[in-house]
Amino acid sequence: MRSFAHVFCRLLPVALGIFLWSGCGRNEEAEQRTAGRLPVAARRGSIGLSVLTLTNPFFKEIADTMSREAAKHGYEVLVVSGEFDVAKQQNQVKDFIVRRVSAIVLTPCDSKAIGSAIQEASTAGIPVFTADIACLAPGVGVICHVATDNYSGGKQAAQAMIEALRGRGNVAILDHPEVESVLLRTKGFEEVIAAENQTPDVAIRIVAKIPGGGVKDKSFKATEDLIQAHPDLSGIFAINDPSALGASAALEKAGKRAQIKIVGFDGQLEGKQAIKAGKIHADPIQFPDRIGAETVRVIMDHFAGKEVPKELLIPTSLYRKADAEKDPMLK
Amino acid sequence: MNLDLRIRFYRFLSSYGMLLVLVLLCAYFSWATWTEQNPTGADAGRQLAKAISRRTQRETREVRVLIVARDIPEDIHFASALRAELLKSGVSVVETVNGQPVDARRALEKIGAAGGQVDLIAWNAAAAEWNLFADLSAFSATRQAKVMQPASYRWPDFLKADNLRNVANQIVVIAIVAIGMTMVIITGGIDLSVGSLIALSAVISTRLIRDLAGAEQAGAVGMAIACATGIGACAAAGLCSGVIVTLLDIPAFIVTLGMMLVASGVGFILAEGQSIYQVPDSFVWLGRGADLFNIPNAVVLMLIAYAAGYLVMERMALGRYVYAVGGNRQAARFSGVPLKRVLVFVYTISGALAGLGGVIIASQLKSGAPTYGVMYELYVIAAVVVGGTSLAGGQGKILGTLIGAFIIAVIQNGMNLTGVESYTQKVVLGLLILGAVSLDRFRRYGLELLVQRSAAGHRKP
Repeated sequence: MRSFAHVFCRLLPVALGIFLWSGCGRNEEAEQRTAGRLPVAARRGSIGLSVLTLTNPFFKEIADTMSREAAKHGYEVLVVSGEFDVAKQQNQVKDFIVRRVSAIVLTPCDSKAIGSAIQEASTAGIPVFTADIACLAPGVGVICHVATDNYSGGKQAAQAMIEALRGRGNVAILDHPEVESVLLRTKGFEEVIAAENQTPDVAIRIVAKIPGGGVKDKSFKATEDLIQAHPDLSGIFAINDPSALGASAALEKAGKRAQIKIVGFDGQLEGKQAIKAGKIHADPIQFPDRIGAETVRVIMDHFAGKEVPKELLIPTSLYRKADAEKDPMLK
Repeated sequence: MNLDLRIRFYRFLSSYGMLLVLVLLCAYFSWATWTEQNPTGADAGRQLAKAISRRTQRETREVRVLIVARDIPEDIHFASALRAELLKSGVSVVETVNGQPVDARRALEKIGAAGGQVDLIAWNAAAAEWNLFADLSAFSATRQAKVMQPASYRWPDFLKADNLRNVANQIVVIAIVAIGMTMVIITGGIDLSVGSLIALSAVISTRLIRDLAGAEQAGAVGMAIACATGIGACAAAGLCSGVIVTLLDIPAFIVTLGMMLVASGVGFILAEGQSIYQVPDSFVWLGRGADLFNIPNAVVLMLIAYAAGYLVMERMALGRYVYAVGGNRQAARFSGVPLKRVLVFVYTISGALAGLGGVIIASQLKSGAPTYGVMYELYVIAAVVVGGTSLAGGQGKILGTLIGAFIIAVIQNGMNLTGVESYTQKVVLGLLILGAVSLDRFRRYGLELLVQRSAAGHRKP
């Protein structure tokens, strides 16, 4: 026991030292990264970014693109993640205010509750921008919101569905109506189907709209129930890639892959691979890199004293098997 | 002699070791966030005005000044003080812009269109950062212009008054809930339900305000009753856990795990999965107000709670009972400690304090949602353990928990300020907890060992 205590006594300061040193090391490295590699203008300031979660590659790409683009203008981006906890995100905003960042970009963990943090930043004179997820709290001064045009993305999904079914068949929607952006997707989808049904070439019925939670496992079960209830189903519109992949797994298990076509949404790597393999017919894909780049552009415009729009929508584009085969990312 | 000294050292370590760690952390982060600070506000305005008039006295011709700052209160004070002082010393001010970059652009274009000229732009650091001014020759009015801003000074971001308030404010909820958790853990139990109870209380309080107290028009009394109901519901949940733990003699771990799921589910049902934000503006008084010497109200509440907790645990029989139950249950029973009542009491208090925490979170965020409080039970337990309370029961100090909570807050805040990314933050917090429990073991072993040896030494002639 004595030797244990002694060894510990010796090791403790060493461990503490390593911890502190690693803290400093990180910092210097981070600064060199922005200062060294890129063609950097004079360092003008920093931008605080708090995303919903960094475990989703979508937000990681927004963060990476923003860091790259901002560095070109001499800004450093401080990336943190709320990890779905709006109280934590609020604290991160407060820390940004203390650090006197030039601007704050948020993808809110809660569209309503984040309002107070945004107000606090505005009162401290720091302009706030939102990316991908909007702030819905009333009376909150967000300078600009940059996001995917989900409504026209939904319309593209409907076109892809009509093309996949050659204009005829029964369709179900794997829904997740708790999220604003998904409501817009299904709205665009339903409107186009209704409009196209007026033409003689198209007769598509939406027979079911069931919740898939936007996640794989729940969509898998929902799809299993769906094909029991509607044996004549010929198409599924899944509101994002995880639901599309869950649906695809259920169809494979039931041996109905040939009968039922899936249209997804997002364009995540796994979704694109499924399109290449023919498991998903097509995706309207989002462009997180463009969201990131446009956000930085809007911030720079704001600082340059130009008028910026309250909302900037990035259009989606349809991604089919032919696109997947040409995609260098999937090689 | 040598041995005595070492025993004293270990005793010192076990009483004040964590305080020392806290002080070291503060010192480290002060050093790491030592940065240039750019003042604004009326004082900075006057100081800049002095510098400008010194400079203009040397010039033979008239100097025309443009003042640029943002449209927040302290910048408006900066600009108006600057303007007043300049006019007093006879410097001509072309225009004062208090606004966004776009307002500054408009002003420059207007001056240029009228054929005016600006010789000097006086601004603060925030306005100087705007890209608009990256190239002053782009505007006809500012082709000859020089710029001046208030002198900067160096001071750690960490030690700014705003930030210290942040640190305190950010840990309030965890620190308050940790009081109850300390009592529970001292009795040898654990309460995993506090995170869900935080959410439940936030949901109940805000929902009652929305549905019964008049939503945005709710009065103070209505809000107080709604919040008291939320806290009461959580106390009742704690009471339930306590009763099950004592009467059925089921491990607290599994009882409170069940309560955690129940409370979380009820929260989601009551809130219908949405966040409830129809509350009056005055609801944020508790979470964001600062009435007493500029100390946030929630922090004052936390200090009161700790004072009460300290009195109960150190000065009252009840506190002694709590230690006795955790130290040796059989002995406590034989010496007439009301075992069951003490246990039910600590779980009820833990529930009630979690409810209070939920009300504070709801007030800070001006809304209630069932998603609040995720993982909080673990942070709370971490604060208690880092504060030196033994998970085996029987040992621990309320004020140690406060120090533990602050250590966690300082590390989190400091890492945010130094730009350590969130994954690394998790690793560091985890290591901190491991370090704290190891340190606890180590000092206890060390102390025992030395005391034994010292006793042995005395016995030998």
